[in-house]
Amino acid sequence: MKPEPFTAGPQAQVLALGDLAPGWQAGVEFSVSAQQMRQFAELSGDFNPLHTDDVFARAKGFDGAVVYGALLVAKVSQLIGMQLPGRDSVWASVSLDFRKPLYVGQTAQVEGVVDEVSESTGLVVLKLTLRAAGKVLAKGRAEVVLGR
Amino acid sequence: MTTTDTDTDDVYAQLTGIFHDVFDDESIVVTPQLTADDVDEWDSLSHIRLVLAIEKKFGLKFSAAEVGRLKNVGEFVALIRSKLK
Repeated sequence: MKPEPFTAGPQAQVLALGDLAPGWQAGVEFSVSAQQMRQFAELSGDFNPLHTDDVFARAKGFDGAVVYGALLVAKVSQLIGMQLPGRDSVWASVSLDFRKPLYVGQTAQVEGVVDEVSESTGLVVLKLTLRAAGKVLAKGRAEVVLGR
Repeated sequence: MTTTDTDTDDVYAQLTGIFHDVFDDESIVVTPQLTADDVDEWDSLSHIRLVLAIEKKFGLKFSAAEVGRLKNVGEFVALIRSKLK
């Protein structure tokens, strides 16, 4: 059976290659709730107590249960798919180096800055930075193909 | 061999290295007649990687129109050589 399209969500920004240049940037602010952590554990099958058990995480030297790295990638997905470059983009690659943990309920920002735009191929390279409380949580890079 | 042949041979030699790297296949023989139909892994995304690798290797920039009208590797080599002049 063919799945119904999701049409109830917010509309993605529509940008063309010619709209973009190095230095363009966009960002998303977010926090991850305890309920979203439970939902991701069910979805992924990753019930590692570092992510599900505050007491266990504290015993390991963290300030509480650590947000799944994949949920940070999920916010990169929102940034790319909805804003930069938005609707007509397809990921070609993504990499993130995690430097500090994000905790449940903590506010964070993911920022993308256009680093390169390839006119010949439609490939856009973004530099990614995730921050919380002014500190860098992760840095990375994404390659996105922008459809013509 | 003329100077032109030498230059063209050099472009093919460099392209061979790029093809082997992009498609992770050392058996690919880069000829003027070679097309995407001849290489299993040559899909739209690897085509992008190929074009970007060629731009970087030769220090060139192509337009979408220039790349879009290429029919085989021979035409790509001609395009590269025209821009190297």
